[in-house]
Amino acid sequence: MSALTLYQLVALFLLSIGFFGLVWRRTLVGMVISLELMINGAGLAIVAAAQLTPANAVMGQLGTLFVMGLAAAEATLILAIVLIVVKRFNTSQAEEISEMNG
Amino acid sequence: MEILAKTAFAFYALIICIGSIMAVTSKSLVRALIGLIAVMIAIAGMYLLLAAPFIAFMQILIYVGGISVLIFFAIMLTKASSDGDESWPSSLRSTLNALVAMLAPGVILAVVILKHPPASIPGPAEVGVVNLGKGMLGPYLLPFELISVILFVAMAGAVLVAWRKWGNK
Repeated sequence: MSALTLYQLVALFLLSIGFFGLVWRRTLVGMVISLELMINGAGLAIVAAAQLTPANAVMGQLGTLFVMGLAAAEATLILAIVLIVVKRFNTSQAEEISEMNG
Repeated sequence: MEILAKTAFAFYALIICIGSIMAVTSKSLVRALIGLIAVMIAIAGMYLLLAAPFIAFMQILIYVGGISVLIFFAIMLTKASSDGDESWPSSLRSTLNALVAMLAPGVILAVVILKHPPASIPGPAEVGVVNLGKGMLGPYLLPFELISVILFVAMAGAVLVAWRKWGNK
C-alpha cells in the first residue's frame, strides 16, 4: 500500500465521519463542526495528491490555501446566519426551525 | 528514517481518529470543538510529513487560530447549555440515517481507492516557499485576487446581516 493510499484513506475517514455528524447532530453549531472536519479532509487529500504524484505540486498547495480561505469566508457567513436564526427562533436545534414565512 | 516517518504518520492518524470521533459524538459542543482542534493540529503534522511546511503553518494559523475561535463565538452566542446541547438520546431512525450517510460514500470511495491506486512517487515533491510565492503572483494571480475579494465580501456581508437584524429588534 503506497503512502498516497494511506493519506487518501485518512481523508476519506474524515469525509465519512463528517457526513455522519452532519446527519446525526441536532444543533446548527454541531453541524458546522462536522462540516469543518470534511473540509479538512479535502485539504489533506489535495495536498497528498499534489505532493505524492508527478502532478504540479505548486498548484496543489495553492489550491489547499484557497480552500482554507473559502472555509474562513464560509465560517464567517455561517456564524452570522446562525446568530440571526437563534435571535429569531430562540433555539439552535435544527428540528424546531421549520417555520417558513417571509 | 522510514520507520520514523511511519511512526509519526500512525501517531497523527491516531489523533485524527480519536479527535474526530470526539468532535462528532461528544454531548457538549465545547468538547466537540476541542476534538476538532486536535484533528486540525494533527492534519498540520501530516502536512509537515508531506514536505509542505508552509501549508502546515497556514493550517495552524487559519484553522486553529481563526475558524475555531469563530466556532467558539458561535457556541457562546447561541446560549449553549452547560450540560450539553445534544444531551438527550437521539432516535434510532436518525442514527440509522447517519450510518447510511457515513457508509455509502465511505465504502464506495474506499473500494475505488484500494482497487485502483493512482500512480504515485515514493517521496513527496520538494517545493520551496519561493516557488509558492512566484506561483501566487504569476500563473495563479486571478484566484489569488478573487479569494481576497471573496473574503472581503463575506466579512462585510456577515457584519451587515448580523448588524441590521440586531438593530431592528
